[in-house]
Amino acid sequence: MASAPETRPHVGPTQCVGPDYRSESQKPIATVSTEVKYETVTTLPQTPQLIALLTSTRLIALTYDDGGHRKIRDKNTERADFIFYSNRIIRLLVEEGLNHLPIVEHTVTTPVGRNYAGLLFQGKICGVSIMRAGEAMEQGLRDCCRSVRIGKILIQRDEETAQPKLFYDKLPEDIAERWVLLLDPMFATGGSAIMAVEVLKSRGVPEERILFLNLIASPEGIGNFATKFPKLRVVTAFVDQGLDSKNYIVPGLGDFGDRFYTM
Amino acid sequence: MNTGNQLLARVADKTAAAMTKRAHYSPPWADLSIIGIAGSSGSGKSTLSHAIVNKLNLPWVVILSMDSYYKPLDAEASKKAFMNEYDFDSPDAIDFDALLETLQDLKAGKRAELPVYSFEEHQRLEETTTIYSPHVLILEGIFALYDPRVMDLMDMRYVVPQRNHADIIVPRGIENRVAMTMVTQYIERKLLEKSTHHRAALKSLEAGFESEPLSKRVVILEETPQLRGMNTLIQDIDTSSEDFIFYFDRFSCLLIEQALNNVHFKELTVETSAGMLYHGLAPKGEVSAVLVLRGGATFEAGLRRVIPDCRTGRLLIQSNVRTGEPELHYLKLPKDISKHESVLLLDSQMSSGGSGLMAVQVLVDHGVPQDRIVFATYSAGRVGLHRLTKVFPEIAVVVGNMVSDSEERWIENRYFRC
Repeated sequence: MASAPETRPHVGPTQCVGPDYRSESQKPIATVSTEVKYETVTTLPQTPQLIALLTSTRLIALTYDDGGHRKIRDKNTERADFIFYSNRIIRLLVEEGLNHLPIVEHTVTTPVGRNYAGLLFQGKICGVSIMRAGEAMEQGLRDCCRSVRIGKILIQRDEETAQPKLFYDKLPEDIAERWVLLLDPMFATGGSAIMAVEVLKSRGVPEERILFLNLIASPEGIGNFATKFPKLRVVTAFVDQGLDSKNYIVPGLGDFGDRFYTM
Repeated sequence: MNTGNQLLARVADKTAAAMTKRAHYSPPWADLSIIGIAGSSGSGKSTLSHAIVNKLNLPWVVILSMDSYYKPLDAEASKKAFMNEYDFDSPDAIDFDALLETLQDLKAGKRAELPVYSFEEHQRLEETTTIYSPHVLILEGIFALYDPRVMDLMDMRYVVPQRNHADIIVPRGIENRVAMTMVTQYIERKLLEKSTHHRAALKSLEAGFESEPLSKRVVILEETPQLRGMNTLIQDIDTSSEDFIFYFDRFSCLLIEQALNNVHFKELTVETSAGMLYHGLAPKGEVSAVLVLRGGATFEAGLRRVIPDCRTGRLLIQSNVRTGEPELHYLKLPKDISKHESVLLLDSQMSSGGSGLMAVQVLVDHGVPQDRIVFATYSAGRVGLHRLTKVFPEIAVVVGNMVSDSEERWIENRYFRC
């Protein structure tokens, strides 16, 4: 690490990461999610495995090994890896997101005749992806919920006003009766996500039945959401340090859609 | 006077000592029994050995032929050999040191690499044959009873036909049914002793664990609503096979992700496209997996979702129908497994811990350090977990569900539908 360039700022809180039974000195140190104080925001547990997955997705053509040497990676490998590692994080996000659905107790009998005091999930769900990057999260959702309905919303920045503008939406007709998993991997200022939530609300989905799943969030975006939609749940893998002058998340991972689809 | 308290203190000390003391597990292949069968060329040593093995029909009785231990020949000796002038019937032709090493390794319960001798080239081939975990080994060869160091390791010695140094003499090889029966009966008795000893060793590991808390290295998955929801579908006898497999795969994927939190990571700084550094982590090295068949194979789909190209060893441990004793039937591991950064050992269920102990012992015998082993299972009981972590205190164990210790295996039947 020592010979990595000192000019680039190193951001975010750091801590030892690893299982409880290992001592601090046995655990490597890594940057972890920035703390946010809202009850409606759930951040995935900062396990070494999650940090390693995030490291892999943040990785671009340039990286530094232990000795601080630059290593160049092959572009094609890079995209395949990016898809694979981001899918794994998305699956973990979906699994966590589903924890917030309503449940009823339900006891079953097992094949060996024992009883298991389990539960059943109540209520129907659907996914809504914010095009295009949100669509990259659909596979992860389907891996957990096989035949889930998935609506789509296209929001683009208006060239003239620089404000997000709704271009297209196609949502399940009975969406007002469903829980909605809103999908968009990068949660920067939350401009398009706020617009997407407005669309959902206009179709009769109450705020408290929306779960916004994203990979990397900014404290600013989370703050904006919490003020505007105090009952809406946000599930994220990692809260980054902040936004740069162009409102990109830093350190971030670049343009998710480009890296997943076209780079 | 404070005798009472002193006594109490001493008792407490003793208990503490007993608690921290590492329990010992002795697999059934520890203390291998070796039977030497010697005799002159063509006397029927090999026929007798094979007849014994065929009659017993057990995978843990193996024959080691001394032919494997001919010394590799130098150019001059090789020339002689091709002219049929080299004396293969002399003890000088045998590499007793290599033989002794093999036998000592096996006797210690370790894996041994046997040389393969080519009579075409009069050389040892590059390839070796791996022998691991026999309970009884029959060493046959003209000079099986020649080297006193080798003879010291033997439980019994036979000569076909008559020679010195033999406990029993088999005058006319295979034709002597009485001698053959005696040999097989001796082996059967030895195997029974080993099995009894093994079961007693397993049993003795149970004592006094009930009151102790589980080792810190046992990680039980947090019971989130999502996990309980999946468990409800997985455990409900009325769930369709299609749903069972779908939810089990989903569960195993989470279990593997959790297991990977127990492997070793190193720090890695990467530069993001915003030109900033992220201080992250990367796995320290290769993570491979070993499936304890058949149960462990239910994790294969979940494993491939997390590590698509994971190198995967397999071992088959079956419980003896009569005694319940776990038995190792098959073993195939990556050659360089001792160099892997971590090995995930996967089995669908663990009840008594007998097969778990055996599986970990196999990895340890193949040079995998304990703290690089992560054992992951869908369900386990307390006694089984205690046994496993008492014997191998440095391994990590990841458990999906805690169940009673007497739970029989059912997941694999449900997953493979037979």
